[in-house]
Amino acid sequence: MGVKIVPRHGDSLKEKLYLLAIVGGLKVTFSHFMKNLKDTSNIETICYPEEQPKDITSRYRGVHRLTKREDDSVRCVACFMCATACPAECIFIEAVEREDGVDEKMPSKFSIDLLECVFCGGCVEACPCDAIRMDTGIFSFVKKNREDFVLDRDTLLSHKPMKGSN
Amino acid sequence: MATITVDDVEIKVKDDALLIEELLANGIEIPHFCYHPALGKDGNCRMCMVEIEGKKRPQIACDTPIKDGMVIRTKSDSIQRVKRQILEMELINHPIDCPVCDQAGECSLQNYYMDVGLYESRLSTTKTRGQKHVDIGANVVLDQERCVLCTRCVRFTKDITKTKELGVLNRTDHSVITTFPGKPLSNPYAMNVVDLCPVGALTSSDFRFHKRVWFLKPDEGICNGCSKGCSIYVDHHKAKYEDDTIFRYRPRYNDRVNGYFICDDGRLSYKIENKNRDSYAQIRGNESEHEYATGKLVRLLKRHHGKALFLLSPSLSLEEMVEVKRLAKYYDAKISGYDINEHDPKFGDDYLKCSDLSTNRRGFNLLDIDDKEANLVEYASGSEMLILIGRDDASGFDKYKNISVKVSINASMPKSAEIYDLFLPMKTHMSREGSFINIDGYLQFHKTHVEYGTQTQSLCDIVTTVLEEQSSTCRDIWDKSLTSIIKNIDLEDIKKESIKMSSL
Repeated sequence: MGVKIVPRHGDSLKEKLYLLAIVGGLKVTFSHFMKNLKDTSNIETICYPEEQPKDITSRYRGVHRLTKREDDSVRCVACFMCATACPAECIFIEAVEREDGVDEKMPSKFSIDLLECVFCGGCVEACPCDAIRMDTGIFSFVKKNREDFVLDRDTLLSHKPMKGSN
Repeated sequence: MATITVDDVEIKVKDDALLIEELLANGIEIPHFCYHPALGKDGNCRMCMVEIEGKKRPQIACDTPIKDGMVIRTKSDSIQRVKRQILEMELINHPIDCPVCDQAGECSLQNYYMDVGLYESRLSTTKTRGQKHVDIGANVVLDQERCVLCTRCVRFTKDITKTKELGVLNRTDHSVITTFPGKPLSNPYAMNVVDLCPVGALTSSDFRFHKRVWFLKPDEGICNGCSKGCSIYVDHHKAKYEDDTIFRYRPRYNDRVNGYFICDDGRLSYKIENKNRDSYAQIRGNESEHEYATGKLVRLLKRHHGKALFLLSPSLSLEEMVEVKRLAKYYDAKISGYDINEHDPKFGDDYLKCSDLSTNRRGFNLLDIDDKEANLVEYASGSEMLILIGRDDASGFDKYKNISVKVSINASMPKSAEIYDLFLPMKTHMSREGSFINIDGYLQFHKTHVEYGTQTQSLCDIVTTVLEEQSSTCRDIWDKSLTSIIKNIDLEDIKKESIKMSSL
C-alpha cells in the first residue's frame, strides 16, 4: 500500500489568528437570522404532534415489517441472518418445517423487541431473501406495557410499506 | 522419511503416505470432498488438485503417493483457476438454498466457494432437479440437489457398517444418492453419514432447524452412553433469556477409543441430559428448597452415624468416587458399588457399543470400592440409612426392614419419589469435570460446562458442603488423593489425550 502524505494545516498567520474564521461563521449565522426575521413562513419547525412531519422518505428506517410472497404467505425462511447481524440481539426466531411445499423452512415465531432495537438497519441488509424491511415510515411507537413493544410475527406481517416506497 | 517442497517450504513427511494426508497433517489447506481419513481416497471429486513439478497437468493430492524430492504448489494461479472451474461445475445444479440449509456455516462447498469461487453465474439452461427432504431412515434427511456425489456416505455404509443401504443411481447430472426401494437406512451408526457429508445433502431430522450451527459452542467431552466412553463434541448454546441447552453430540476424533464415529444411541442421549437439568430437590415427594434439603442430608447422616450405607453408581467419575469415599469414612459408613442395572446384553456389538452401560466401573477396582453382592447383603442387613448416589434402584431394598431412611442423590428425578425420604439433584454428566476409565482401560478426562440455571451442585460440591469445607476442583482432588493411587499418569496428561492404564 502506498503512503499518502496529507498537508498539515494551521501553521500560517491567517489561520493562527482564528478571527477570520469566526467572522466567516458569524456571517452565515447572521444571514440566516436576517432571512428568517423577514419571512417566518420558511422556518423548519413544526407543531408536533398536531402537525406530522412531511419529510419522512422511503429510506427512513422506521419500525420493521416482514414482507410477503406473491401468494401472501411469509417470505422469511428463518435463516437467522438478521438475528446474527443484530448488534442489540433483539430478534427472536424459532424455525419450523414448512409443510405447504412453497419452501422448506419458515419461522413459527419471529419477534423483535423494539425497546432493545437500535434501528441500525443491520437486519435489512443481512436478509438474503428481502423478507424484512424498515420502510413502514413508523417513527413513533407508543405503548403502555413493556410486553407490547415486542412485536410478534403476525404484527410484523401486518405492517404496510409507506406510500411512495417500492 | 521423505522431504518434499510445498509452496517453497521444505517439509519432512512419511514415505508411504498419500500426499493429501501429509499436507493436511502439516496444516496446509487442501480443499476436498471425497477424501476422508476414515474412508480413504476415492478420487471422484477432483477438488484436491495440486501442481506437481514435472507433471504436465494438475494432479489430485488424494491419490498421489509421496515421492522424495517432490515439488508441489498449492496456491499458484493455475491451481486456483482449476479449483474455481471444478466448483463452478459442482454448483451448476446446486439449488443454492443456503438460507434454509442446516449445513450452512459448516459446509465445505460454502467455505471453498468463499476462497476461490467465481461469484458470477454463466448458466443459461435450467437446473436439473432432484428430490428434496427425503426421509431415508435413521433420522437422516436426504436432499439430492445439494449433493456433490462424493460418495462418502455410500462408502461408509459399504466399508464401515457393511450394511450397504446407500448407492448412486443414474448417470451424468441425473446421478443421485438413494436407498434401495423399501430398504431404508437402518443401522446403529447411520447418523454418522450426516457428519461425513461435506455439504447439506444429508442432514439430521433430529437437529434440523433447531439451531444455526454458528451459535453453537462445542465443548470436548466423553459420551456417558456406555462403558466405551467415546470422545464427543457437546454442542450447546445459551440463547438470550433462555437456559443453556445441548443441541447435539458429534463424534470427536480419538484413535485410541472411537476413531471418527459414535453410535446413534449415544448421539441422541443428549435429550436425557437436557431433561435432567430441570431436576429439583424433594422431601418425601414434595418439592423442597435446595439448601434446606442439603441441611436435611447432614442431619440424617449425623443421626445415623455409623449405620449408613452408601451405594454408588459405576458411572460416577473417579473424583466423585474418592470424595464420596471420604464422606463415608467421616460418618463411619459402609460403601458398596454392587450394580446390575447398568448392563444390557442386547446393547453391545462388535464395534463401539458395549453391553456395560456404566462409564467408570473399572474405577471401583482402582479405588478399592467393594462391588460384590454378598458384601452388599451383609452391609444392608446392618444399616439404618441407605444413600443411593447416581442411581434409582431403592425398590430392591424393600426387603430390608432395618433400613428406615432412604436418600437419593441423582441427576435424574426418581421414578417414584415417595419411596425416598430425601432426593437431592446433582449436576448432570455434561455440566461437570471428571476422569473416567473406559472398558479398555483408557483413563480419560471429561470437561464440559453446560451452565445450570438452578442452584444444583455437582456431587463433589455436595460432599464438600456436607463436610463444611471449601469446594475443591479436580486438580485439588488429584493432588490430595488420586495422584498417590495413579502414580505414572498426571491429570494434565489425560487432559490432552486418553492414556491406557498399565495396571488395573
